[in-house]
Amino acid sequence: MASRVSALGVASALAAVTAMVVLTGPAPTSPWRHGFLVPVIAAALAFGHIGGVLTAGGAVLLSAPFVLPDIERAGLGGAAAEGLVSFVIILTLGWLAGALRTRASRQAARYVTLVAVQRTLAADAPLDVALARLRAVLLSRLAMADVALVARDGDRLALAGGATVAPGSLAARALERDASVFVSDTGDGSRPRRALAVPLTAGGMGLGVLAVERVGELPAEERRALEALGGELGLALENARLASRQRRFAAELAERIAEATRRLAEMDRAKSAFVAIASHELRTPLSAILGFAELLAVRRFSENEVRRLAEIIRRETERLVRIVNDLLDLSRLERGLAPALRRTAVAVEPALGGAVELFRRGSASHRFVVECAPSLPRVDADPDALDRILKNLVSNAVKYSPPGSTVTVSARARADGSAVEFTIADEGRGISRSALPRVFEPYYRAPDTLGAARGAGIGLAVVKSLVDAHGGAIRVDSEAAGTRVTFELPSVP
Amino acid sequence: MATVVAGHGALLATALAWATRASGPAWVALALLGGAAAAARLHRLGALAYLAPALWVAFLAARGRLAALGLAASIPFRALALGFALGAFIGAHLLISASRTLGYRLRDDPGEVAVWIAYDLGANVLAAEGFFRGALFNRVQRRASFATGVAVSTAACLIRYLVDPLLPRGAAIVIGTVFYLSLVSVVNCWLLWWSGSLVPAFATSMSFFAAYRMLESGGLSR
Repeated sequence: MASRVSALGVASALAAVTAMVVLTGPAPTSPWRHGFLVPVIAAALAFGHIGGVLTAGGAVLLSAPFVLPDIERAGLGGAAAEGLVSFVIILTLGWLAGALRTRASRQAARYVTLVAVQRTLAADAPLDVALARLRAVLLSRLAMADVALVARDGDRLALAGGATVAPGSLAARALERDASVFVSDTGDGSRPRRALAVPLTAGGMGLGVLAVERVGELPAEERRALEALGGELGLALENARLASRQRRFAAELAERIAEATRRLAEMDRAKSAFVAIASHELRTPLSAILGFAELLAVRRFSENEVRRLAEIIRRETERLVRIVNDLLDLSRLERGLAPALRRTAVAVEPALGGAVELFRRGSASHRFVVECAPSLPRVDADPDALDRILKNLVSNAVKYSPPGSTVTVSARARADGSAVEFTIADEGRGISRSALPRVFEPYYRAPDTLGAARGAGIGLAVVKSLVDAHGGAIRVDSEAAGTRVTFELPSVP
Repeated sequence: MATVVAGHGALLATALAWATRASGPAWVALALLGGAAAAARLHRLGALAYLAPALWVAFLAARGRLAALGLAASIPFRALALGFALGAFIGAHLLISASRTLGYRLRDDPGEVAVWIAYDLGANVLAAEGFFRGALFNRVQRRASFATGVAVSTAACLIRYLVDPLLPRGAAIVIGTVFYLSLVSVVNCWLLWWSGSLVPAFATSMSFFAAYRMLESGGLSR
């Protein structure tokens, strides 16, 4: 409207109507006086209440010379009263139409602002970025000198339009009270600098603050509109936050499901492989036992030969027992049960020696070094469990290191004497960095070890469960130069 | 003389004291006003002494001591021109209306008009604009709103002129005073708010009162 009606046009129309009144005989009852309503209403619709009131004032000023002389001459007669009523009508219409136009345009601007806000917050963005965008939109829409937004984000405050919320500042006070704070003048310029901070609320909760500053007027009606905008902004912000959280949650959920599915498939494959390997692992010692037992039953051997064969049978039986024990422990582990322990004070050096001796006798290809610190405290452990832990780890060290290399088994007390630290180190090719975090998972075998040695992938899982059951801790360090497994068991006080 | 010092002097001194936060400039203005009033009584040319208070205020403004009243060294010339134009328009309207409705004639002595203009420059307009716009409106609009500032300033201004014992009595005069002074007051408040300077408001009032002094009865409140 304003683009079609200019101030010059309004002034010209006023002049034209005045000219018509003068030309047709200036009198309070001139029918042309109604012509003043046209520019007055046009100005009100084009420029709002200021335009309407100013134009109406101008119209009254221009028509006063036709009305007032009549009053002066003949008093307040019918014609003069008619002229005065015209004044009132012109002024009232100018003010009313202008006020309605101003209110309607403010309401329209508010809706446009809300749509812009919704559009801005629809994009998935971090809170700080969303606030900065929102501030840019509000700066362009609200006709303010400055706009700042503060939003609570957990324990911190996210800001747009400032670096910090200074204690005692307008925003700080609005945040603290969760209510609007208005300052009539914050500056010392020629025009007052009005400032208002309104809370951003959603569901009765204060989410932050919208602070605005304007050089000039910030009337009560606009302050109320800004307070309403604060509520709508809070709601939009909360919706955006919830939508963003939902999107993140959905993405995370999808990722977790994919990971779980992948793990399940992997575990399924591992179990299938385990069944095949375990069958093979069980059959090997059984075949040896069966074969040598049949030999002893059907043939006659020298005493030394019988002893040798019996030793093989004993060794294979021990191996079989280890495998069966591991399987039983794994079964308990999968059911969420801790291995059953019978704890007692166990001397460390004999335990180390016993475990290593078995492999020293069975494997001539490796060199074994036992390093046991003097006067070690005894550990509070199940002797069988400790034996199985050590044998499992030494067995792994032998399996995954080349012939001729050294397997070092050592033990030392912790500085505070609360535990004994055992270390089994080999000179093998080590475990890849990516496989390290998973070596204690049941059925897991590092991809690069699959062809290197036999195994069902349950040894380290059982070892960890046994160490954990003692209240100890275990870790694996591996480099190209070898692997080092270290575990701790509590010492006897 | 007592009327001038009591009326305009009180307003101007209060405005200066508010702006400078000191009583010295106010006392000087009072003395200059009193002197000018005395000089004007002694001889017609003595009215030129009314320029002294105006020059004193200009001197204070140039020193930057009256910024709180909207008087600074820099003058917004566009607003100044608008102020003159608006004052001239309202003054012209007054001249037309008064000559048509009340039958007032124009003064035939330009010297008399010049004396009145000097009086307005150094006493009437200077004091009214300094106090009602520079001090009162400025403070009220900062604390409340533009509309409140206009209302308070205009009401105070009207009271000041309506209670003036030198105002000719009569319904038409009172109505005219209320109408034109309200209009001038609103325009001046807006000019000060818009331009940040009191000088355009001063120009509006000077234009208006210059027109008013051209009328035969334009001897209001000297």
